[in-house]
Amino acid sequence: MASTVIGTGITIEGEIATDEDLVVAGVVRGKVTAKEAVTIEHGATVEADVQGGSLSIGGSLTGNVVATDRVDLQSGARMIGNVKAARVTIADGAQFKGNVDMDV
Amino acid sequence: MPARRLLREKPERLRQGVTCRAACTRFARHGMAQARTTTRGSEARIGSGARVRGRIHGDGDLVIEGNVDGDVALQGDLTIAEGASVSSEAIAARGVTVAGALEGDLTASGEVRIAASARVRGNIRGTPVVIEDGARFSGRLDCEFELPPELGGASRSEARGRAPARR
Repeated sequence: MASTVIGTGITIEGEIATDEDLVVAGVVRGKVTAKEAVTIEHGATVEADVQGGSLSIGGSLTGNVVATDRVDLQSGARMIGNVKAARVTIADGAQFKGNVDMDV
Repeated sequence: MPARRLLREKPERLRQGVTCRAACTRFARHGMAQARTTTRGSEARIGSGARVRGRIHGDGDLVIEGNVDGDVALQGDLTIAEGASVSSEAIAARGVTVAGALEGDLTASGEVRIAASARVRGNIRGTPVVIEDGARFSGRLDCEFELPPELGGASRSEARGRAPARR
């Protein structure tokens, strides 16, 4: 297992770039660039522009999101920002403010 | 005895009970918080394919297998794994294990272990500091240890040594 996990007790202020999967359960402020799946867990806070393969958002995200594959806003997620992805789902119970652009 | 009657007749007993329960809750919460810290500790990891530029801080443990450029401040333990590369002005953590490459100053409130595969350039402060055979270290070592009696390290409390820089 070589993926990156930002645990609940950890805060990163800056830039994260990874070729592997990324799981955020803590706090990230800055910029996130990932080639594979990015998971923002329930309780996590991300204030960053996020780029990834596929994104699963269960926590709080402020920033613009670009995914090469898909973006899934889970129930309980809170997102402010624009989404650009070919496939986007917003679950019942997710809060979302921003634009969706599926025209990739 | 129902609480209302107890309050009317023996308020001091109820108060005792409440205090006891509050203490129990506090204890339980404390225990839970500790348990959570333990689990969260194993969960923070910068993978080998990841690069982080910026400040990392928090109360959990962290394992770095990738590339970090920036300051690290942790309440928990830090592990810089073999193959990892960390460049930083200041690293502060409880216990620190270095098996990868580290450039920068390191301050630990607990033990510092420089493994055989490590390459470290910078100053280290910790108690104790362990440098394994094969490790490469260049910098200043600041740690408290017992000097042997022939070097005048008679009393444990006063014994404080400073090792010169070595490669």
